[in-house]
Amino acid sequence: MTSFGDRILGLGLLVLAVAYGWAAQQWPEPFGGAESVGPETFPTILSVVLVAGSLYLMIKPDPDAQWPIGKSALELVVSVVVLIVYALLLEPLGFIIATTLAVGTLSWRMGAAPKRAFLTGLISAVVVFVLFNYGLSLSLPLGVLEVN
Amino acid sequence: METLGFLMEGFAVALTPYNLMFALFGAFVGTLIGCLPGLGPANGVAILIPLAFTLGLPPETAMILLTAVYAGAMYGGRISSILLNIPGDEPAMMTCLDGYPMAQKGRAADALAVSAIASFAGGLIGTIGLIMLAPVLAKFALTFGPAEYFALFLLAFATLGGITGKNPMKTVIAATLGIMISTVGIDISTGTQRYTFGVLELYEGIDFILAIVGLFAISELLFFVEHRMGGGREKMTVGKLSLSLKELVTTIPTQLRGGVLGFISGVLPGAGASLGSFISYTLEKQVVGKKGTFGEGDIRGVVAPEAGNNGASSGALVPMLTLGVPGSGTTAVLLAMLISLNITPGPLMFTQNADIVWGVIAALLIGNVLLLVLNIPLVGFFVKLLSVPPMYLLPIVTMVAFVGIYSISHSTFDLYFMVAFGVAGYFLRKLEIPLVPIILGLLLGPEMEKNLGHAMVLSDGDWSILWASPLAMGLWIVAGLGLVLPYLIGPLLRRRMNAAMKESPVSD
Repeated sequence: MTSFGDRILGLGLLVLAVAYGWAAQQWPEPFGGAESVGPETFPTILSVVLVAGSLYLMIKPDPDAQWPIGKSALELVVSVVVLIVYALLLEPLGFIIATTLAVGTLSWRMGAAPKRAFLTGLISAVVVFVLFNYGLSLSLPLGVLEVN
Repeated sequence: METLGFLMEGFAVALTPYNLMFALFGAFVGTLIGCLPGLGPANGVAILIPLAFTLGLPPETAMILLTAVYAGAMYGGRISSILLNIPGDEPAMMTCLDGYPMAQKGRAADALAVSAIASFAGGLIGTIGLIMLAPVLAKFALTFGPAEYFALFLLAFATLGGITGKNPMKTVIAATLGIMISTVGIDISTGTQRYTFGVLELYEGIDFILAIVGLFAISELLFFVEHRMGGGREKMTVGKLSLSLKELVTTIPTQLRGGVLGFISGVLPGAGASLGSFISYTLEKQVVGKKGTFGEGDIRGVVAPEAGNNGASSGALVPMLTLGVPGSGTTAVLLAMLISLNITPGPLMFTQNADIVWGVIAALLIGNVLLLVLNIPLVGFFVKLLSVPPMYLLPIVTMVAFVGIYSISHSTFDLYFMVAFGVAGYFLRKLEIPLVPIILGLLLGPEMEKNLGHAMVLSDGDWSILWASPLAMGLWIVAGLGLVLPYLIGPLLRRRMNAAMKESPVSD
């Protein structure tokens, strides 16, 4: 049993805690003079707590979890990329097209047959679009499908 | 009898056709959320929050909707426990022990029916407890000063990991991270910009709704992708109902015991619904003794945990409504809704927003009735939905989360933020850092800082005010115990729970 995960996390959190605490000391004194509790007091306490916590993690780490390697890791990266691209294309391509592509790709990668996956995407996209635009009168972007 | 009057007013709010419609919708969606794999109650309620917003629902309707979803999810969890031996959510774990054997004996319909009735009884007992206890506790909480509140928040964090939690230090780290995120933005009392890095979108702070949706919904999708759990499950048949009235009557004492025990463990910090159903089940086993056939499909083994977890879910609302301090993930998400509706949770809510509080409580009662009515005839429908494979379901759920977040602000910036939270949530879950304390930190952070500031102003900068009063001292001690106890008795309790799971001959 290795326990690199917790050690690396602890190290990362330690850096974060120190940077967070240090940044709090750099703020200018608020207008009207210093009070016993300024904007920096609470963050300073938090950074001390997190330093203690991260040191504990590094000294007494839990055993590592099973990290995905190879193909699983690749699938994960693909999923995250799909989500980012979805957010990126939502406005330019419009809700229906972007959603069909995103939901379709995700369910295809999760194991559905491609045809059924993209059909699911298309149907869910149209249903949600109609429901939002006409049922709830909240406009979702139509993008390239816009006719005017 | 003041309470009764308030309750009547609550019914007047909850029984308007508009609110009733949303309660029914919530109860239905909640049951779905509870029984579907990969969609826990906290996750489900979180996704619905942005939708409740964009619909422009009035506060009491929004709260009624979400409370009905919450109650419904507790009902739904049992369906897959009984039919598939896979708990739909964590508290439904104990229901597997006798529910699945019952289903194997061909009594699935009976198990489903009796567990629906037990859920109803538990929910009813819990709600009655809530009605009696909450006003008293709210009155008591009025005596709390800022120092007491500060200590109370610490207590909430310390006990959130629960007695059965694995590593309390990770709870502390998670809570600290959550509070840290909440400090981003312009400091309300001085106007100092904190951790904004000059980014305009960060001036108002990070919206906790998108953090919650990202942490829960997106990370869940990633977990399913990793484990390739996309495939469907075998079709289940329910069979005919053969439950006799006599058999039902014999379970009444079990229902009462389970409901009361569940309620108590729901109210207590750090216990929660899972422990509620566990205690109810083990106690029932001891009370019935050798006469029972626990683990082989004893009907009381289905009734006890179900009454327990539904009692606990009502009990968990007590600290959330009266003190503004939730004890579980789902109640934390409900608190998020309250805060974003600009309602300050806590004792004052009982006087300032009495219509909302009592409307919610009345809706809980009505919701339980609706759920019972929904669950018995519609169980076949829910069972059909259980066979929808996650590979179609989760992408759609994720899409709904995107739509919800997008429709709040119409900004894609928020969507990137949500995905980032989702990826962070995945890594944190992998490292066994619990997500609920992060959410609670996000929600309670600003309150905690405000109370710290007030206490310091009152004491003129003397830090000892934080533990000066006996009440505050007591809260500190309980908080300390909350961190230490998991080390001492946690392993023991966990071993027992596992042992109970193993004893059942069919669990694998």
